[in-house]
Amino acid sequence: MMKLEVKGIRKSFGDREVLHGIDFHVESGKALGLLGRNGAGKTTTIRILMDVFHANSGEILLDGKGFVPSKHRIGYLPEERGLYPKRTVIDQMIYLACLRGMNPREAKASAKKWLARLEVDEYETRKLETLSKGNQQKVQLAATLVSNPEIVILDEPFSGLDPVNSQILKDVVNELIKDDILVIFSSHQMSYVEEFCDDIAVINQGQVVLVGKLKEIKREYGRNRLMLSAENYALEELARKVEREWADLISVSDRKKEFLILELKEGADRRKVMAALARSDVDVERFGGYEPSLNDIFVEKVGEEE
Amino acid sequence: MRRFLIVLKYELKEYFTNKVFMGLTAVLVILGAAALFLPRFVDMSDFTGVQSAAGGEESGDEGAGGEKSLLLYVDQAGVVRAETLDGMFPGADWQEAADVDSLRAAVEAQEAEAGFVVTGAAEYEYYVYNKAMTDTNTAVFDQAMKLFYRMDYCRTHGLDLEEIASMYDVPVTVTEQILNKDSGSNYWYCYVLVIVVFMLIVYYGQMIAVSVTNEKSNRAIEVLVTSTSSNSLLFGKVIAGAIGGVFQMGLILGAILLSYQVNRQQWGGMLDMFLHIPGDVLLSFAFFGLGGYLFYAFLYGAMGALVSKTEDISKSVSGLMVVIMVVYFFSLMQLMNVDGPVIKVLSFLPISSYSTMFARVAMGSVEAWEIVVSFLILAVSIIGTGMLGAKLYRMGTLRYGNPIKIGTALKSLRGND
Repeated sequence: MMKLEVKGIRKSFGDREVLHGIDFHVESGKALGLLGRNGAGKTTTIRILMDVFHANSGEILLDGKGFVPSKHRIGYLPEERGLYPKRTVIDQMIYLACLRGMNPREAKASAKKWLARLEVDEYETRKLETLSKGNQQKVQLAATLVSNPEIVILDEPFSGLDPVNSQILKDVVNELIKDDILVIFSSHQMSYVEEFCDDIAVINQGQVVLVGKLKEIKREYGRNRLMLSAENYALEELARKVEREWADLISVSDRKKEFLILELKEGADRRKVMAALARSDVDVERFGGYEPSLNDIFVEKVGEEE
Repeated sequence: MRRFLIVLKYELKEYFTNKVFMGLTAVLVILGAAALFLPRFVDMSDFTGVQSAAGGEESGDEGAGGEKSLLLYVDQAGVVRAETLDGMFPGADWQEAADVDSLRAAVEAQEAEAGFVVTGAAEYEYYVYNKAMTDTNTAVFDQAMKLFYRMDYCRTHGLDLEEIASMYDVPVTVTEQILNKDSGSNYWYCYVLVIVVFMLIVYYGQMIAVSVTNEKSNRAIEVLVTSTSSNSLLFGKVIAGAIGGVFQMGLILGAILLSYQVNRQQWGGMLDMFLHIPGDVLLSFAFFGLGGYLFYAFLYGAMGALVSKTEDISKSVSGLMVVIMVVYFFSLMQLMNVDGPVIKVLSFLPISSYSTMFARVAMGSVEAWEIVVSFLILAVSIIGTGMLGAKLYRMGTLRYGNPIKIGTALKSLRGND
């Protein structure tokens, strides 16, 4: 079991500080979703993790000791994708595996394994530039995993993949997590993060604004919130009725396409609301506790929806 | 070290599996060797002065088929002796023209190569249709006229011309004992080898810069710098480029030198001044030439890392090119004065020792300690430029867009950005 901790990372470019103290941690066998809007500081954080940039202050620890990326097998898929377009797929896979510590025989076997796993083994002797964009992306992912890493860092891994290829990648990431690999990945696509990640860290303008276990965060954000819709009231009418008749119990905090999100007021509880609804003429279509999606939480935390 | 070797092997494979690179090498080797084997198969005696098939050596002015040119003369002073002219112009047939007009007409019609109208004991007119750069007819005819004059003078004064001539033209035998260097014969080797290193630096340096820039333009660089150290990457890349360059240039040069050695007799030794290079000169060239090449190769690699598009490389390397050109011209100019103070200073600077110390070794007086010190400075500078290049390469990793100025890059390094 490995534990990677990022503590108080600060980074400036010139006079401008872009990271103002980033903190999070992740353990092996789990995936951390690094979320944030464009320019929030996700990629800079990842590049500091990978020692591409040096932090001005703060520390990165692996099992309590200073983390030196070159001493570990790390699979890193950078945001700026790129390999050698004029070299064959297998050649560059073996090259990267050897650079990361494998001997040529192991490297070749591993390269063939990952190319087959990502269903691009038929192109192994082709030059990279002759492949479609999606297949190049899969080769890039295979190159990331070719050294059988213990830590995998994926910066926007789903960008450029069609739904079929996305499913292959999802399966691979799930296998990595099952194999006790420590996975960090950044993405704008919240559905993927919800699917894989036990933990999230939301970065906004160079600061971590939300960090923790995804389930707990969702539970916390859903606490004192209810959802309600009616057969005989449109959502706008229902919202007005709630504000007019049950203002002491609940308030409308948001409107979704098919239901209202209500917030319990102090002293109120779900039973009192149910009783009030039962006494009214509202023909309840949907009523229950509300668990927000990661997208809702993200938008609430970092501003308007992207 | 292991990772450096992995990078080196991968980069070398790029050169040795490149069909254009290998094809060009093969073509140039074959062309170079074939050109020097020509006298074995083609009669080049006009050019080399050596008969190819018949074997006998003769410094003939005759054409390939033995056809002689026609020269005319009109002797208005009565001094010309036709048999003397035949001896002095062995490649020509002499005929006396009826008068000046007929001589002029024959030359104008290009029936005769040239014509001489002797108007006095020490005066003549020369008629030629197009005067060639290499026309030596008047120079030889001057000698003939002087001889006619002396013969006439001796005859009228009762003197023996042969006796006087033997007194004036007493043969002198000289045996040269060159105790150090023969600048006269080493000059052209040096000249050629300075040009070879210059070409090596400029041509292959550019290739190395392109190779580094390509990694930025195809965005592979972030994967690479997170997979191994930038030292391994840059040293591997530059040394591979250097080996590729030395391989190509070495094969071409080797084929030319070897082919010349094999065919030296057929060439009559006429290319000795360029191609019959002594072993010690080649050895000093190997050390200093290759050292200088590596020194600049690392700088080219670093310059390549400062741009992200190959079309910007020329901007990035322009400053470096100025240094290389200035050193090149200074080196060639100073070859005439290899023991002068300017070349002595230049021979210790790593930017110029590749050509100037090598020239001093080949042509001048140089102490052993000077060679050792100069080479140590060069070796340390190569490592220094390699380390600096690797830092610039690392610093330029994620800086895309406009080319980074070298001053800005060095400031960034100091700031450890």
